[in-house]
Amino acid sequence: MEALEALLLGFGVALKPINLLWGFIGVTLGTLIGVLPGVGPALTVAMLLPLTVKLDPTGALIMFAGIYYGAMFGGSTTTILLNTPGESASIATALEGNRMAKAGRAGPALATSAIGSFVAGTIATVLLTLLAPLVVDFALKFGPAEYFSLMVFAFITVSAVLGASTVRGLTSLFLGLFLGLVGIDSQTGQARFAFGVPELLDGVDVVVLAVGLFAVGEALYVAAYQSRLSETVERLSGSILMSAEDWKRSWPAWLRASAIGFPFGTIPAGGAEIPTFLSYAVEKKLTKHPEEFGKGAIEGVAGPEAANNAAATGVLVPLLTLGIPTSATAAILLGAFQNYGLQPGPLLFQSQSELVWGLIASLYVGNIILLVLNLPLIGIWVKVLQIPRDLLYAGILVFATLGAYSLHQSWVDLLMLYVFGLLGFAMRRWDIPVGPAVIGLILGPLAETQFRRALSISQGDPRVFFEHPISATFLAITAALIVLPWIVRRFRRT
Amino acid sequence: MSRRSAAQIALSLGVLALGAGAAAGTAMLPSEGGYAGIGPNFVPGVVAVGLLLLGAWLAYEAFSGGWRTAPPDDARERGEHPFDAAAFGWVSAGLFAHMALIGPGGFVAAGTALFACIARGFGSRRIARDVAIGVVLSLGVFLFFVKLLNVGLPAGWLAPLFGGAGI
Repeated sequence: MEALEALLLGFGVALKPINLLWGFIGVTLGTLIGVLPGVGPALTVAMLLPLTVKLDPTGALIMFAGIYYGAMFGGSTTTILLNTPGESASIATALEGNRMAKAGRAGPALATSAIGSFVAGTIATVLLTLLAPLVVDFALKFGPAEYFSLMVFAFITVSAVLGASTVRGLTSLFLGLFLGLVGIDSQTGQARFAFGVPELLDGVDVVVLAVGLFAVGEALYVAAYQSRLSETVERLSGSILMSAEDWKRSWPAWLRASAIGFPFGTIPAGGAEIPTFLSYAVEKKLTKHPEEFGKGAIEGVAGPEAANNAAATGVLVPLLTLGIPTSATAAILLGAFQNYGLQPGPLLFQSQSELVWGLIASLYVGNIILLVLNLPLIGIWVKVLQIPRDLLYAGILVFATLGAYSLHQSWVDLLMLYVFGLLGFAMRRWDIPVGPAVIGLILGPLAETQFRRALSISQGDPRVFFEHPISATFLAITAALIVLPWIVRRFRRT
Repeated sequence: MSRRSAAQIALSLGVLALGAGAAAGTAMLPSEGGYAGIGPNFVPGVVAVGLLLLGAWLAYEAFSGGWRTAPPDDARERGEHPFDAAAFGWVSAGLFAHMALIGPGGFVAAGTALFACIARGFGSRRIARDVAIGVVLSLGVFLFFVKLLNVGLPAGWLAPLFGGAGI
């Protein structure tokens, strides 16, 4: 029951009025920015990072937990009313959610998504509370070799196994790894790929990369290919309350989706995309109203939304306990930790127990704030959606450039932002995933450090990665993930 | 499959070029590595080789029927309109204007220019309205960051007004 004590301590931190205020501000801003079309959770977190530079780490991270949840919920509002999923994890919601909105049932769709997010988020946070100490105990046995192999596993799953194309996923990853090398080598002080530019010695900041890829790239893309298209925002008419029938159909979907979403979040499987589709498929199969699917079935909103939130919480398990981000958003959150000189992992649970458990406790609080804030304020979020697109993107870019500039007060960061914007444009146009690049940038240097540490301990003997059983297991699973799809395909052909 | 896509070939060559550049940069790094036996040039070497291999793989796909499962080249098949160079140009111009103005002119001037150019790129023709909203928005953001969050932003041309606020 150590975890319970620690959690109570955490609530002591999270419920301090000032931290409660940061959580409240985080949820509000996260929803406000997340609701903007074309702004997903990753970009929301990256754009709001500069807000926190002058805060103490606990307050800042609690605010970020709020932003994370708020951005998630804001994104689903946009998806339901506008049918433009801001990220792949929202596509499943769009299938039924937008149809419900078109049929004049936007209110219940938003309500089931908000309440479902709360239910799934809370269940997932309970699971996180129970699971985290176990993972920490296990991870304390890890040496550098184990960490390195685990990171290789994460690299491969997020880039090569999932997604439309293995080669494009890997290209994105290696791009990120390359950018991660820029700057001063942490072990020898050697400058690498800095070309004598002082701004590059600090390395490429994750905020500049993420904002460039997501915000500038998106603006260039939408301007070039979609600015002359018209779009319709569905009206929010009638009651936002769910009927008894809606409740009856929603709650089993929420529970099933929590069970699907959380485990997928905890393994490095690229975040919330798979569980949302899986939940959609399950609900479609189990429903008593199959005729409604494709026309706005409430289970089809309740399930994917809950799965999305459960997975988003699950992602925090490897992030907090192992220091391994498995989604672009988590990679940016890790960047936020690093800004404070904190490295998430089992040791952080010991050295900064108050901060970590305060953060976990604030996830419970954030979920409640989200529920009490969002349903009453839904009218405001709908108004935000009606901002004309020319003003909307202009405003987004004012904030995006602000975030990049405030890092070093240097126009070099703005030039990098534009270059990454061009990259993001090309990646969007030719369907190259951007997540692996962001993860590679932040996780690459950590993997290199562990790799060199492991080899230092073994006096340069590379067998260390195969002789440690845990490390060998990770590498074996990674190899299987690469080889198995090939073998399966071969068998199918013959 | 459709004819070869020049853009896919260019992007593949770009990845190859980046790999070659990374390899050249790696060659200039020292290799002594103490107990580990590998120095600061080892991982850059691995990444360079990886980029070269991936560039070659992409080029192979581009020359043999196009990248697999890539979006269609015809914008209409994607439900979009053809590439709008003017819109792309205005968005780019806005970002460069911002880059050039932020030092001498300060945050508000740069933000206003950026705002007006982006809005133009997205089809707005109401320049006076866009400039007005741009001024109000960037001034609000400036004051919020400088006065409330203590984050320094350049005041530029407005420095006399704020008596040294910002940097």
